Amino acid sequence: MSGAQQHNIGRSVVRPDVRDKVTGATRFGGDLCGPEVLSASVVRAAHAHAKVIRVDFSKAKAIDGVIAVLGRDDIKGTNRHGLIKRDHPVFCDERVRYRGDAIAVVIATTPEAAKLGRDAVEVEYEALPVIATMADAQADGAERIHEFGNVLATQLIRKGDAAKALGESDVVVTRTFAMGGVDHAFLDLEAGYAEMDGDVVTIHASGQWVHEERRLIALALGLPVERVRIVQPPTGGAFGGREDISIQIYLGLAALTLGKPVRMQYTREESMVARHKRHPMEIEYTLGATRDGTLTAAKVIIRSDEGAYASTGPAVLRKAVSHCTGPYRVPHVEADGVALFTNNCPTGAMRGFGACQLAIAYEGAVLAVARELGMDVVELKKKNLVRDGDSITTGQVIPVASAIDCLDAALDRFHWNARRKDHPAPHLRRGYGVSTICFGLGYGDGYPDASRARVRFAEDNVLEVYSGGVDVGQGLHSLLAQIAGEEFGIDASRVRVIASDTALTPESGSSSATRQTLFSGNAVKLAAGEVHRQVMDAAAVMLGLHWEDLAIKGDRIVGIHHENVATPLAFVLSGARARGFTLDSTAVYKPRTVAPTDQSGRSPRAFLTYMFGSHAAEVIVDIETGEVRVERIVAAHDVGKAINPREVEGQIEGGVAQGLGMALMEEVVTRQGRILNASFTDYIIPTILDVPRIEAVIVERADLEGPHGARGVGEPPLIGAVPAILAAISDAIGHPVEQTPATAERVWKIIHQDNAEHLT
Amino acid sequence: MFYRPESIDEALALKSRLGAHGTFLAGGTDLVVGIRKEKTRVEHFIDLTRIAGLDGVYRDRDRLRIGALCTHAALEREAITALADACETVGGPQIRNLGTIGGQLGTASPAGDVSVALIALDADCEIASVRGTRTIALADLFVGPGRTVLSPDEMLLSVSIAADRKSAFYKIGKRDAVAISLVMAAASVAPDGAVSIGLGCVAPVPLRARLAEAHVREHGLSDDAIERAAELAMSEASPISDHRGSAEYRRAMCATLVRRLLRGLR
Repeated sequence: MSGAQQHNIGRSVVRPDVRDKVTGATRFGGDLCGPEVLSASVVRAAHAHAKVIRVDFSKAKAIDGVIAVLGRDDIKGTNRHGLIKRDHPVFCDERVRYRGDAIAVVIATTPEAAKLGRDAVEVEYEALPVIATMADAQADGAERIHEFGNVLATQLIRKGDAAKALGESDVVVTRTFAMGGVDHAFLDLEAGYAEMDGDVVTIHASGQWVHEERRLIALALGLPVERVRIVQPPTGGAFGGREDISIQIYLGLAALTLGKPVRMQYTREESMVARHKRHPMEIEYTLGATRDGTLTAAKVIIRSDEGAYASTGPAVLRKAVSHCTGPYRVPHVEADGVALFTNNCPTGAMRGFGACQLAIAYEGAVLAVARELGMDVVELKKKNLVRDGDSITTGQVIPVASAIDCLDAALDRFHWNARRKDHPAPHLRRGYGVSTICFGLGYGDGYPDASRARVRFAEDNVLEVYSGGVDVGQGLHSLLAQIAGEEFGIDASRVRVIASDTALTPESGSSSATRQTLFSGNAVKLAAGEVHRQVMDAAAVMLGLHWEDLAIKGDRIVGIHHENVATPLAFVLSGARARGFTLDSTAVYKPRTVAPTDQSGRSPRAFLTYMFGSHAAEVIVDIETGEVRVERIVAAHDVGKAINPREVEGQIEGGVAQGLGMALMEEVVTRQGRILNASFTDYIIPTILDVPRIEAVIVERADLEGPHGARGVGEPPLIGAVPAILAAISDAIGHPVEQTPATAERVWKIIHQDNAEHLT
Repeated sequence: MFYRPESIDEALALKSRLGAHGTFLAGGTDLVVGIRKEKTRVEHFIDLTRIAGLDGVYRDRDRLRIGALCTHAALEREAITALADACETVGGPQIRNLGTIGGQLGTASPAGDVSVALIALDADCEIASVRGTRTIALADLFVGPGRTVLSPDEMLLSVSIAADRKSAFYKIGKRDAVAISLVMAAASVAPDGAVSIGLGCVAPVPLRARLAEAHVREHGLSDDAIERAAELAMSEASPISDHRGSAEYRRAMCATLVRRLLRGLR
C-alpha cells in the first residue's frame, strides 16, 4: 500500500479467539453434538504383529444399542490412507502391524453401548514375531512387515570426499546419539462429528490440511471429493499430530452408511496408542576439523524407526539428511539415512521433524570438537556458521544467513560473558549451553507447495479473507486478517476470516512445515493487492484523479495532493460494484523448489528459505541424583518480520517448553510393540513448574520471499531448545549428554560410569 | 448402594454388615480413577465425608494425631517438615484438596509419598471396628501393593506421629509436580537420638529401613555411620525396574537420599 499507514504489521493484535478459549466457551471437536447422534468406538488390534484369521461381529451386533459394526468389507473405496504412501489400512485385512491398528468401528446409540460392542467383537489371530527394534528389522531373516521388506526409504548426501577429508583432519570425533519417541500430547483429543447434508458427508474434525483430508476420505469412501466436506472446529494443538488421518474416515463411513449423525472421541490412552509419534533415531556422527577450528568433513549415519506405516517417514528422513550439518559450513559431507519399519506405533510428523533430531547430533558433535580442540564453543561456532551468500550442505546458497545474528542476540540478552560459575550447593552444579540451528521452511525438494487465498469486500463492505489454512492454535487466521487489512489500512479486528471449510475456502496447503505465514500470508497479500487495485481504479474513475494520487485513509479515500478530495470508502465500494468491479480476487502463491539429485542428494533450492535461531540455556544439575532443573532459556529467532510480535513470542515460549519436555522427560517407552506409558499419568510432559523463565528475542532480517519480510516461527523454537539444554547439562557434569530424554537416571549414569570411584 | 453414615459408629456398623462388599469413599482421587479405568469394582460406597471430626489434627504432648479424613492440603503447612514436604509433592492442588490421609494409607501404594514420610515419623495408626479399637505401627499396616492388614470390617480412624522430631523428605519424580515418584525417602531424628527412616518405590510396600535406623541409633550420625546406614538402607530395598526407572538407579538413590537426609538432620 502507499503512504505510511502501518495499522497491522508488527502490532501485537489480540486474537479474536482467545477470550472464548480462556473462558472455556470455545466448542472443540469433542463438544460437537446433535439430536439423536450415534456414538462410534474403534476395535483395536490385540497384537503388535499377527495374521488375522477370523473376525466375527455377531456378538457385538447382538448387544443392546449397537446399530452397526463396520469393517473392511464396508469400505467402498480404497481401504488405505497415508500422506506419502497409501499403506495405512482403514481396517486391517490380512494382518495387523501395530497395536493401534483398527479392526472395525462399532456404532451405537450411546458411547457405553459402543464400548460394549467394541469389546464384543471377536478376532482370531495367529501371532507373528514382533519386530520391536530397528536391529530386529535389519536382522537376517527378519519377518517382513510389508511385502517389500522392512526398509521404507533411504536418503543420502554426497558432497566432496568426506573420507579423505576426515583422514587429513587434525581432530576427528565420532559420537553416537539417540532420541526417543515423543508424543504430541495436544490437549484437544481426536474428536469430531459427522452428518449427511443431502448427499454430502460433512465431517467436523480437526486436522492440519482440510483439502488433503478430503481427498483421502473421499478415496476411502469411494466418493468424488465434491461429496465430502470437511469443516475444522476450533483446535487445541496439533504439532504435526493431526497430519495423519485419525477419526475422519470412521466418522464419514458411519454417517454415509447409516445416514445418521455420528460423533466420536478418543480417550487419552487410545489417542496415544493409535496416533503416530516423533521418530526415534540413532545417529552416528563423525566430524573433523583443523587445529584452528575449521570444520572439514562430516560423516553421518542415520537410522529412523518408522513404526508400522510410512506416514511422513520419507520426508522426515530427507529432512534429517538435508539438515545433517545444520547451519555450519562443512566442505565434505557423506550422509546416509535409512528408515526402517518395526511393529511399533507409526512415526510421522511432529514439530521440527528430522531437523530436530539432527540438531541434537550436529550440536553435540560441534561441542565434542570444541572439547577436543580445547576451544570455546562460541568461537568454534562463529568460525564455521554460514554467512550471507554461503551455501549449506545441500548446495543451496543462503542470501540471508542470520545464524550469527541470532547467536549474538541470544548471548547478548543472556549476558553470556557474565554467567556465574559458582556451585549453588556441594551437590549442585551450574551449567550453560548454547545452540545454533537452521530450518528449511515449507515442504521443499520440489514437492508441490502452494497456498491459495480469496480476498473480497462483502456486500456489507466488510473485508473478507477466505483461506483453507487451519488454525491449530498458532494464530493463523488473525495473522491473515492483519495482512489483508494492511493493504487497505483496515484494522485486523474489522476483517472477517472464513477459513478451513472445504466447501467455502480455497486450498491453502497444510498448517505444517512452518509454512503458513509465508505461503498463505503471500497468497492473501497478492489477493488483497488485486482487490486494492480494483478499489483504487474505481475511485479514480469516480473522483476523476489518477489512482496513484489517491490513498485509503481510515474510512475514506482521499487525494494525496488534493486536500479537498475525500470520499467515504463505503461509497467507493458501492460505486465500484455498480461499475462492474468484482472487489473479489483469489490468488495463489506457488514458488518453486528443486528436487535433489539421486546421486548426491543435493539441490540448488531444496527449500524456499532457511530460518536460523540460537538458544542459551542455564541448568542446575544434582550430581548425586542426576536431576536437572532448567533455570533460564533465552531463545533468539530470525522470523524475518514479526507480523504479530506477541504471537511470535508465544510460539517461541511454547516451542521451548515442548523442547524442554523432549530434552528431559518425554519418551514413549515401548516393549515388544506395546507402549508402556500410554497415559498422562505415565507419559510425563512438563508442567508450568518445570518451565523456567523464557526470554524470546525476535531478530528481524527481512526475508526475500515472505510477506512484509516475514518467514514464520512454528518449528525452530523447539529445535533450538533441545541441544541447548543438553549442552548445558554437559557443561555442568563435564561429560557429553547424547541421548534424549536426559532423565535423572540417564544423567546419573553418565556421571556414575565415568566417576565410579566417587559415587560408590 | 451409596451409604452416607453420619457417625463413626454408623460407618463401622455398615462396614461390619457389608464387609468386603463395602468400599469407603473419601476424596475419591484414587478410587474414582480406578473405577473409570475399570480396575476397581465397587458394589457399595460408604461415603465418610459426612462424619464430623474425622478430619481434625490434634496435638497430644509430643505426638500429633491426624484424622483419616484430613486432606493433604490441610497438612502442607504443618511445622513437621517431612510431613509438610511430602504432602506438598502429592499430585497437584486439586488432588491435594480432595485426597485424604486415610485414603493415602488405605491405598497402600509403595509410591505413597506421605506414607513414607509418616513411617519416618514413627507413626502408629488407630484401627476400629464394631469389635473394638486397636493400634499398630504404620509400617506394619502394609502387606503388599494395595493390600493392608485391615480386616473387611475395619476402618482406619487416625494416624499418630512424633511431633518433636527434626525431619526431612526428598522425592525424585519425573517432573516437579503431578508425578508418581521414582524413588523417595524421609527421615527423622528424635530428641533422644532415635532415627526413623522411610523409603518409597523400592519395595512392594512403603519401607521402614530398620537396619539403617539401628546402625545410626548405635553409632550416631558421624560421616562413617551415615555412610554405613546408607549402604544398609540400600541393602534393605528390593526395587523393581519399570518404565519410570531401573532397579539399579532406585537402589543407588536409597543410599544417596538416606545419606543426604541424615546429613541434613545432624
